[in-house]
Amino acid sequence: MKRRGLLVSGLGAGGALVVGWGLMPARERIGAVDALPVEAGEVGLNGWIKIGADGTVMLAMNRSEMGQGTHTALAMLVAEELDVALARVRLVRAGADRLYGNVATMVTGFPFYHPRETEPGHETTAAKAGQWVVAKIARELGINVTGGSSSVVDGWDVLRLAAATARARLIGAASIAWKQPAGELVVVDGVVSHPAGSSAHYGELARMAAATPTGDVRLKRREDWRLIGTAAPRIDAAAKCDGSARFGIDVRLPGLLYAAIRHCPMLGGSPGAVDVAPALALAGVERVVRLGPYGGSTAALAVVGRTWWHAQRGAAALRVEWQQRPAGGLNSDAVMAHLEERARTASSAGGGFAFHSRGDLARADAAAAQHVEQTYRAPYLAHATMEPINCTARVAGGKVEVWAPTQVPGLARAIAAEVAGVAEDAVTVHVTYLGGGFGRRLDVDFVGQAVRIAVETGGRPVQLIWSREEDLGHDFYRPAGVTILRAGLGADGLPQTLRITSAGDAITPRWIERGIPALAGPVDTPDKTTSEGLFDQIYAIPHQRIAHVATLSGVPVGYWRSVGHSHNAFFVESFIDELAHAAGRDPVDYRLALLADAPRHAAVLRLAAERAGWPGQGRSRPLAPGRVRGVALHECFGSIVAQVVEASIEGGRPRVHRVVCAADIGTVVNPGIVAQQIEGAVMFALSAALHGRIDIAGGVVRQINFPSYPVVRLAEAPLVETHLIDSTRSPGGVGEIGTPPLAPAFANALFALTGKRLRELPLRL
Amino acid sequence: MEIFVNGAPRQLADDLADPALPLLWALRDLLGLTGTKFGCGVGACGACTVHLDGEAARSCVVPIGAVRGRRVVTIEALGSAEAPHPLQRAWLAHQVPQCGYCQSGLLMAAAALLAKNRRPTDAEIDAAIDNVCRCGTYPRLRAAIRSAA
Repeated sequence: MKRRGLLVSGLGAGGALVVGWGLMPARERIGAVDALPVEAGEVGLNGWIKIGADGTVMLAMNRSEMGQGTHTALAMLVAEELDVALARVRLVRAGADRLYGNVATMVTGFPFYHPRETEPGHETTAAKAGQWVVAKIARELGINVTGGSSSVVDGWDVLRLAAATARARLIGAASIAWKQPAGELVVVDGVVSHPAGSSAHYGELARMAAATPTGDVRLKRREDWRLIGTAAPRIDAAAKCDGSARFGIDVRLPGLLYAAIRHCPMLGGSPGAVDVAPALALAGVERVVRLGPYGGSTAALAVVGRTWWHAQRGAAALRVEWQQRPAGGLNSDAVMAHLEERARTASSAGGGFAFHSRGDLARADAAAAQHVEQTYRAPYLAHATMEPINCTARVAGGKVEVWAPTQVPGLARAIAAEVAGVAEDAVTVHVTYLGGGFGRRLDVDFVGQAVRIAVETGGRPVQLIWSREEDLGHDFYRPAGVTILRAGLGADGLPQTLRITSAGDAITPRWIERGIPALAGPVDTPDKTTSEGLFDQIYAIPHQRIAHVATLSGVPVGYWRSVGHSHNAFFVESFIDELAHAAGRDPVDYRLALLADAPRHAAVLRLAAERAGWPGQGRSRPLAPGRVRGVALHECFGSIVAQVVEASIEGGRPRVHRVVCAADIGTVVNPGIVAQQIEGAVMFALSAALHGRIDIAGGVVRQINFPSYPVVRLAEAPLVETHLIDSTRSPGGVGEIGTPPLAPAFANALFALTGKRLRELPLRL
Repeated sequence: MEIFVNGAPRQLADDLADPALPLLWALRDLLGLTGTKFGCGVGACGACTVHLDGEAARSCVVPIGAVRGRRVVTIEALGSAEAPHPLQRAWLAHQVPQCGYCQSGLLMAAAALLAKNRRPTDAEIDAAIDNVCRCGTYPRLRAAIRSAA
């Protein structure tokens, strides 16, 4: 209950905290040197930056690298302000200090304001106040999350200011030492010099800088940037090309044991009677450990062995009487039928939680010239990170050490402490590289399991690895959803009314129950992720009601790259395309007509259309025979993306050949990484659009390895082009934004080709 | 048992060197060569690809009993810091890796392809490289293979 106590006291003391914190300026998050431990020869300058004796700049890295390039992007911010080469920045472990929490992801996640209420410079008072309160709470909680495409958003001001402050003190030290005005000193790659001849590198100045007042700190002007905005090579690329990069699964410790796991095959079930003798009779098998449901997992048995293969063979040999969960076996067909019924009932009765409503729907609907209503569906999906779920733990002498590929080191620490029965400060978490995250590693079930096993191994470290079958069969799945959309079109064919009623499980309340149980409330509060991409849809439609019915299916659900947007964009952008066709209008023109007051969105759409050669938009380009185009536009994570997909049907199967993307992500830190992320997000979405579905029957997941859960491979991979809008706004999110528009753009292309509207994922002709 | 890995004979602990032990786990858990990755355990994703007598092989389904007397090469010996394999250079030039987990297997599969076929067509590349990459590095790795070919 410690966390809840913090939250309550933070709120209760609101008045006092208000005065000190102002509007959460970045300078409040620079932190003190004691947050970042130093070793011999190192000098700390604030909570983020310390300087090595040789002038190396060490940055406390609080975010997990899972492919999204955030280690490189955040290091670039620091290298820029400190005027050092990127190679001179070394990343060091950020500890458990609240300083390293993620404020941005909570601020954008919790009060569900329409983006137009939070548009910089045009924020409503309510939105400002709400964000301010959440920022305060987030700062107080200090939950370290790598997720929500928020790392650069969160670090943008803080890291640049931390680095600029460190630089000011280093310059100040040189100025005092040399008795020269600071304004006459220049810095080139970490070497400070004065035209009169004095020169010293940061390592030589650091000790004095630590005793030098900060003085005036100014961030570099945009026109003086030499690194931000360039496609600097990733700092992790070389190690990822020669096998030397260390993922969680690569941790090797003296005396290391390996553990394999068998969850109850029925989600939520448990092991009954177990015969362990056949497992223990095998060479290389050491012991069997019973695992309860940790962090929301299904109960399981673990087998410890001297290699993972020996452990896995032991796990397969266990004879277990598995027990179904008390509420009975889960069935995804039954869930879909239930969602449809709930959505239909709510749609006709004006039910569900309305995330957004405006205008007078009844009057406007009565005046509409034409109505369109359709139902869309999306299945459960698994993450299938390439690196199977794993965690290494050692429990010895009252201390716990955890090596984990995790997106939430603080939650990993909390569950490790709870399972081992020690205080949190007895737990050290080492975050390794993540072989993919996509939201799966926002859960810490596997950390609890690994620590529980390590409690039994007499102080020897143990590495728990899930087989791919366990991974796909025991994920926290992207929730299934059913959505009913209804529009009334005016005489001009443009929508006057829009009603959207969606049904599906809410993720955030379930995630909080699993990962931060002290914050779980007695009732679920509305979860923005259920309706994101719907309630904040971008088109100017005067009368709207966008509501969601939050269900409780019992299927474990979690955050999946782009979360609610992953299916909601498919629903709304396919439906807008339907409206364009109902109105007899070109899909790009129709959208532009609804974006008269949204110039940024219109610019992104135009850019994608022009670059794709869309007829009527710039220079149109003829397509190869049999190919068609489809378009979609979506805003999420503070960025706007349009995609034009070029598709055909080959051998009876839909195929994407080329995807032209345009995006406005605000200021671009590294256009090379942005392009990488958009390419990757397109492939991720294409796997879901072509193949992705998880079916559950009798509690058992049907798709348990790559043959039955197919994903896109090279032969199916389209060409992807990325075009970025030049912008001076603060950076928006990047890692997830390329995923949402792909499925609707693809489905819209297939409609143009076949005349058949596909309203269910995955797309089946 | 002795197997021949990256140009040298390597002894495997007798009590663990079951002939059915997949090469992947001998490399990772007995020899500490962790560059070769576990992805699916059924030869379906290619993360564990190594070279066996110069041919790409999925080490999660190759028992060590079938490796005796054959040459195993892993990502650790594809190139060296001083002399990287041309594909490793191309991979960096095209900034292929994202999370990086599947890249060892991809590089080994691509190197085996180029060793047999100096100038593969796109269709030949697509047919030969069917590894799974969940980060979707496909367009870049295709370009990297073409540039190294």
